[in-house]
Amino acid sequence: MAEEKKGRAVATSTAASIPKFVRGNLSATLKAKEEGKKVAAAFIADGQDEIMRAMDIVPAWGESFSGVCAAKRDAEKYLQKAESDNFSRSLCTYATCNIGFDMMREELGQAPEGAPWGGMARPDMMLGNGQLLCDPRFKWPQATQHYQQDVPVFVTNMYYPPWDPNGDHHEVEELYVKYAKEELHETVKFCEKITGKKMDWDRLAKTVELSDKTWDLFIDTYELRKHIPTPMDTGDAMNTMVPLTFNLGTQEAYDFYVSLKAELEQKIKDGIGVADPEKFRVIWAAGLPSWFALGDFQYFNSKGVVFPVEVTYRGCEKIERLDLPKTNDPLEHIAWRWVRYWTHWYDAAKKRPGSTPKVERIIEYIEDYKCDGAVFHSAFSCRSWHAGIMQQAATLKKVYEDIPILIMEGDIVDISSYNEADTHNRIDAFIETLAAHKARKG
Amino acid sequence: MTDIRDGNGLAAAEKLYTQYGSRARELKASGKKVIGYLSALGPIEIMTAAGVLPIRLKGNVSEAISKGDAYMETIVCPFVRNVFDAAVKGKYDFLDGMVMPHQCDSIDRTNETWNYTLNLPYWHFLNMPHVADDPSIAFTKEILRIFVKSLEKYTGNKITDEAIAKAVAAHNQNRKLMRDLYDLRKSNPPLISGVEMMKVCVAAMSLPVEESSALIEAVTKEVKERTPAAGNPKAKRIMLIGDQIDDVAVIEAIESTGAYLVMDDLSTGSKMYWQDVDVTPDPLQGIAERYLRKLKIPTTFIGSAPTYQGILEERFGHMKNYVKEFKVDGAILFIYKYCDPYGFEVPAIKSYVEAAGAPVLYLEDEYSTSSLARVKTRIEAFLEMIA
Repeated sequence: MAEEKKGRAVATSTAASIPKFVRGNLSATLKAKEEGKKVAAAFIADGQDEIMRAMDIVPAWGESFSGVCAAKRDAEKYLQKAESDNFSRSLCTYATCNIGFDMMREELGQAPEGAPWGGMARPDMMLGNGQLLCDPRFKWPQATQHYQQDVPVFVTNMYYPPWDPNGDHHEVEELYVKYAKEELHETVKFCEKITGKKMDWDRLAKTVELSDKTWDLFIDTYELRKHIPTPMDTGDAMNTMVPLTFNLGTQEAYDFYVSLKAELEQKIKDGIGVADPEKFRVIWAAGLPSWFALGDFQYFNSKGVVFPVEVTYRGCEKIERLDLPKTNDPLEHIAWRWVRYWTHWYDAAKKRPGSTPKVERIIEYIEDYKCDGAVFHSAFSCRSWHAGIMQQAATLKKVYEDIPILIMEGDIVDISSYNEADTHNRIDAFIETLAAHKARKG
Repeated sequence: MTDIRDGNGLAAAEKLYTQYGSRARELKASGKKVIGYLSALGPIEIMTAAGVLPIRLKGNVSEAISKGDAYMETIVCPFVRNVFDAAVKGKYDFLDGMVMPHQCDSIDRTNETWNYTLNLPYWHFLNMPHVADDPSIAFTKEILRIFVKSLEKYTGNKITDEAIAKAVAAHNQNRKLMRDLYDLRKSNPPLISGVEMMKVCVAAMSLPVEESSALIEAVTKEVKERTPAAGNPKAKRIMLIGDQIDDVAVIEAIESTGAYLVMDDLSTGSKMYWQDVDVTPDPLQGIAERYLRKLKIPTTFIGSAPTYQGILEERFGHMKNYVKEFKVDGAILFIYKYCDPYGFEVPAIKSYVEAAGAPVLYLEDEYSTSSLARVKTRIEAFLEMIA
C-alpha cells in the first residue's frame, strides 16, 4: 500500500496548459461570428488543417467536444438525445454525442445549458473525409445535416495505398498522391465558395512549413521519453496530443512543444521519472482511450508501470524519415506527407514474413523505447481504430516475441460499458504477467 | 450441375439457395478458379472477363459464431463476422481467392484478419472511394486497372477490353432479366413471393453469369405461367430496406403475417440489378461510373444538390419510385448492429420514405435468427398499426 501511495511521481507541468487549448478551440467557434470568420465542423487527421488555418476558417472539432463531455462524465444526455431519433447506441459515440448536442442546440436556438465550456457554435460548413478508416468521418456530417439542413457538407477522399504483402506500394504511391492532391484542391474550391475568399497560396505554404516543423519538434520531444526512467507517460500524451491534433499549423502548437521539450530535458537531467521506481515499460499499442477513465493510467503508474510510447495520437513522423519528393505545391506536399506517413512502415513489414505495417510500427516502438509488454484498448462503439486489434496482437506475438499483452475493453464516450474494479483487476493480472515474463528473461 | 429447364426454375433456385456454393464447388472441381467477394461493390464484370467464377459470400443466420471470434472483434458488423466465421470453418474451402472491396470499416479494418487467417492463393483489396466526384472516377478507373492486372497475373490470362465489354453486356442482360422478374411483384397479389424472390437472388449471386441468367429466365417463365391467386386484397405490401439480407428468415417473418414483401432496397436485391453499366469506349469508365455513381449505397457520399431536399432525392429518390411503382404500404428498415454507414442514415431514410407515403419500421438486429421471435413481434405490431 505504501508503494501505491507514492502514486504517479509527476505529470508534466506543460500539460497543465492543455485545458486552455481545448477551451480556446471551443470558444474560438463561439467568437468566430463576431470576428467575421466562418466555422467548419471538422475531423482530426484529415489533411485539411492547413487549408482551414490558411483561410481563417475556425475548426469546430466534434471529436474534441465529445471527448470533453466524456471526460466530464456528462455525455449521457446527448447520447440519449441522439438515441431518441433512432441513432443506435452501437454507433460511434463521438458522433452520437455530438449529434445529440447539435439536435438540442437546433431545438433551443442556442447551446444547451451546462454544455461544457459553452459548447460549440453552429457551423457554416461541415468538412468530412473518406479514408481507409472511420466511416463516421463522412456519415456523421451527413447525419448532422438532417438537423442543420442549410449547412453545406463537403467530403474529401484521402486514401493511401492499402497494405498488400505481395504488392509493391511504391508502384502506386504517385497515383494516391495525385488523387489526394486533387481532392485537396476540391476542398479548397469548396472553402473558397463558402468563405467568398480566395486561397492565399503563400500563406498556405508557410502554414504547411510550420506544420512540418511542428511534426519534427513533436517527434524530437516524444523521443526524449526513451530515457529510463521515462519523463512522460501516455496518460500525459492523451493531453499533450491536443496542439498537434487540433491546432496544427499554428504558432501556439509549435510553441507548446518547445516548452514540453524543455521540461522533459530538465526532468531527464534531474533524473525525474513518471514512476518511482519504474518497474515495467509498456507500449499503448492501439486504441483510443476511455476519456472518462484516464485515471487508469495513474493506476498503472502507481504500480510502477509506465507507458513511454503510444501509437494513438502520434499522428506525425520526422519529415526527413518520410523522404518526401520536393515540390513547390503545398497541397502536393500535404498529399505526399499523408501517403508516406502511412506507407513508411511498409518496407519494414515486407522484410519480416507474416508481419504488417501496423505491427511493424509497434515492434519499432517496443525496441526503441525498451518496452516489456503491450496494452491495447478496444472501444465497442468504434470500429475505425479498434477492429483488427486482435489480429495485431496475434501477429505481434507470432512474428516478434511472445510478450505480455493486455487488451482492455471499454468505450471512448459511453461510460455504461465501464467497470473500474474489473478494469483494475485485469491490470493487476497483466502486471503479474509482466513480472513473470521479465523474471523469465532475466 | 443443377439442371435448369422449363418448369423447374424455382426448384433449382431452392436447391442453389439451400446448398449455397454448390455450383462453385462443382466448377472448382472441373478446374475453374473461384473468387469470393463481399458486398455490392464487387466488380463482377471484371471477374467474369478474367474467366473466374465470382461468388458473393454469405453467412448462415442459423449458425452461431464459434470460431471467427478467436480472430475478429465482436464490435465488427455481425454479417461480416458471420461470413468470416463460415470461411474459417471451411464453408468456402473451394475458394482460390477473394476480393475485398473497400465498402465500410468492418471490411476495411478486418482485411488483414481475413487475408492472414484464410491465407488464400489470391487476395485483392479494392480501394473504392467514398466520394463520387470527377477525381474519384479517374482514381476508380486506375484502381480497377490495378485489379485487372492482378487478376491477369494470378490467372496467367490477358483480360482484354473486348472481354470486359462482353462481360458487361452479359451482366447488363442479367440485370435486365432480374428487373423483369421483379416486375412480376407489382401485381396484387404479387406473382412471386418475397421468400421465393430472396432464394432466386441468393442463388443468382453464386453462379456464372450465363447460368444465373438462365435461372432467372426459367423462374420468370414459370412464375408467369402461374394462375394468379385470389390473394387478400387487404394484405399490406411491404418493402424491405437494408444491406446484405441473404436469408429468408426475416422475410418469412413478414409474409407469415399475411403481408406481401413486394420490393426491396437490399444489396443482394434491387441494388444489384437496377443500374446497368454504360457501354463506354474504355469499359472501365462505365464500370467505375456504375459502382461509384449509380449504385446507391450509404458508403458512397452523395451531396451535390444545392438543397437538403435535393440531396435526399439524390440519395433516396429511387425508394420513392419503388413505393409508387410497387404500391408499397409500409417499409421495414432492417439494419445490423454496429453498422455505422446504415445506422447514421436511419432518421433521414425513415423520414424520407414516410414522406413518400410508406410508414417505416426500423429494426436493429444481429445477423442471426436468435432474436427472430422478437423481430416477428415487432413486425406484427407494425402491420397492425398500418392496417
